[in-house]
Amino acid sequence: MKISFPYMGQVQGYKKLLEFLGHEVIMPQKPTQHTFDIGVLHSPEFICYPFKVMLGTYIEACESGAEMIVSSGGSGPCRAGMYCEVHRRILKQMGYSTEILIFDSLKKHPIRFVKQVLRLKNKTPMIKLIKAFIYTFKLLPLLDNIDEIIKIKRAYEINSGDFDKAREKITEMFEATNKISELCGVYKKAIEIIDAVPIRLVDEKDRVKIGIVGEIYVAMEAATNMEIERRLNALGVEVYNVQNISGWLKHNIIPRKFNTSKSWKAFDEGSRYKRCACGGHDKENTGWLIEFAKNGYDGAVHLMPFGCLPELITRSIIPQMTSDLDMPILTMSIDEQNGEANTQTRLEAFIDLCKSKKKAKNEVYQEKKESHTVGV
Amino acid sequence: MKIGIPRALLYHYYYTFWRTLFEELGCEVILSDETNSKIVSEGSKVTVSEICVPIKIFNGHVLNLEKKNVDYIFIPQFHKVKKEWYCPKFLGIPELVEYSIENLATPLIVLDYITKTDMIDSFAVHKPLLNILNVTSMQLKKALKSAREKQLKFRSICKNGYTVPEAYNFLFDGKPLPGKKKSEITIGLMGYVYNVYDNFVSMNTIKKLEDMGAGIITFDMLDEEEIKIDKKEIKQPFWTFSRKIYNASKQLINSGKIDGMIHITAFGCGPDSIIGKMMEIDCEEKNIPFMTVRVDEHSGDNHVNTRLEAFTDMIKMHKRKGGNQ
Repeated sequence: MKISFPYMGQVQGYKKLLEFLGHEVIMPQKPTQHTFDIGVLHSPEFICYPFKVMLGTYIEACESGAEMIVSSGGSGPCRAGMYCEVHRRILKQMGYSTEILIFDSLKKHPIRFVKQVLRLKNKTPMIKLIKAFIYTFKLLPLLDNIDEIIKIKRAYEINSGDFDKAREKITEMFEATNKISELCGVYKKAIEIIDAVPIRLVDEKDRVKIGIVGEIYVAMEAATNMEIERRLNALGVEVYNVQNISGWLKHNIIPRKFNTSKSWKAFDEGSRYKRCACGGHDKENTGWLIEFAKNGYDGAVHLMPFGCLPELITRSIIPQMTSDLDMPILTMSIDEQNGEANTQTRLEAFIDLCKSKKKAKNEVYQEKKESHTVGV
Repeated sequence: MKIGIPRALLYHYYYTFWRTLFEELGCEVILSDETNSKIVSEGSKVTVSEICVPIKIFNGHVLNLEKKNVDYIFIPQFHKVKKEWYCPKFLGIPELVEYSIENLATPLIVLDYITKTDMIDSFAVHKPLLNILNVTSMQLKKALKSAREKQLKFRSICKNGYTVPEAYNFLFDGKPLPGKKKSEITIGLMGYVYNVYDNFVSMNTIKKLEDMGAGIITFDMLDEEEIKIDKKEIKQPFWTFSRKIYNASKQLINSGKIDGMIHITAFGCGPDSIIGKMMEIDCEEKNIPFMTVRVDEHSGDNHVNTRLEAFTDMIKMHKRKGGNQ
């Protein structure tokens, strides 16, 4: 069957999984202006941005002949759980017969979940299915790790574009793998490639670190947030993004009791400001901001789609958090109206502020140290 | 003791319950003023600009209560009904109040409503009141019981086709229920209670429609049984009130009781962006005229008048020509 999926995060991983099951994958296009335009045209006006981008991607996939689209669902209270119902109706109204298969929580709808897996299984032997899943679950964290390292090192890139080239090479290398046993070796080679890229050496105290939190789709998918990570790197700051697909899987699949993922720790931390989780990742994001401040980050960027229900609650708390945590936080709400110049200017101003704050902090620290030496 | 209840959000649904409860427990209930432009602008000033209008108005009402010298402001935090949620903003309402309004002097009573049904008379939910109001569990249980009865009475009035303000007037001010007028056309007025019955937000839409000779049906005039979770559907909206409204619209469309449908929604409402589109598609399939009225703090009266007139005229003309809806 010709299958497609929304473009989000490590698409290479999902493609591999579906190919293992013997499907033909219609690779979704990285969202472009055309995607945004047709998505916006057919969406309700006040729905959040991810919905519009996803609809655009779906329409493009339908036009390329996809027979089925696979995506994840949800059971509230965030709107994302209802996306599929509206997507389905809009596509039907537009005259496409593409089916949308939604995977909801295994815990809440076990029978439906298993049925859907069996449908996707496509007569693949069980053992191969399990292998395919293990392969994907191993591959995704590796890819995420590589990106995490790149987002730190790219800040000190000497020849612009080196890391992008390296990343492309790595993608090809992983593309060629088919066995679980090969992954580790390829990962090691990938790390070597990254290490070989020439970078500027910077003193530890001059490293500026910025954390990114926010709604998972706009924070994770560079095409929707105007490549904010790349922009920040180009301004010479390291970036750590809390949202990635392997983190999401770990957070959701392993039962809470045995779950050691950092996002659950952040979730608990969020209780300092919030009585309860209000849906989406709002409480984790609050917790992550506190974690960032504890770990000496110089600032944080909070991304959300315009009108996002849960993140707006975080947004209301942020002024208080900025003063409590003594860390600058920039909230950007993202939708189809965003302009590049506006984003760039805001980021530049914000990074200038973070840098001068860091400089002032360093000086105070230096003075204290000196006065201490004199005192002795 | 004086308890202030903001005249916003689910005041328009559970006021009967809360008023009876607090009065039975020996408190005086003080309501904030009816929504006016001052309340709206004060609320908008302190709240994040992107958020939906009802939340801004809620903050405006809290600020209004601050001036009324109440001992406590009551903020209900609605979480869940069984497996269904409320909109995330209901879940975060105490945070939205506390962090938006600086130096809030009056202490808040926050109750976490996690209930099994639409009736919110659970003892566990109201337990914090024991300490705050210094009452015994016996007193609380008794008060909850009479609150429940009064709420049921309120709901039965609504189900007879009366609007919420009419029911409140009857229950608390002793005003008689108005006689039912026969109207030329019937319109399904879909929207949350805090949009439809707040005269500022809805700009008196109900009265305007009635003056134009149109009768209305809202979701709260239907029985809970009629709009309960439809198990045949793969997925129903998972917000309690959104599900009620969506199922009410489906029910009304299929029953043929209505000639047209108007959806009143506020700027930035998340759940409405989902169910609004779904209702629109449903209406299109059954050939029922559908109109969305979206309001925010800048909306003017006139454009709503024009749109309502045009909409009702169109339906009337169609009906007089003998068109079958």
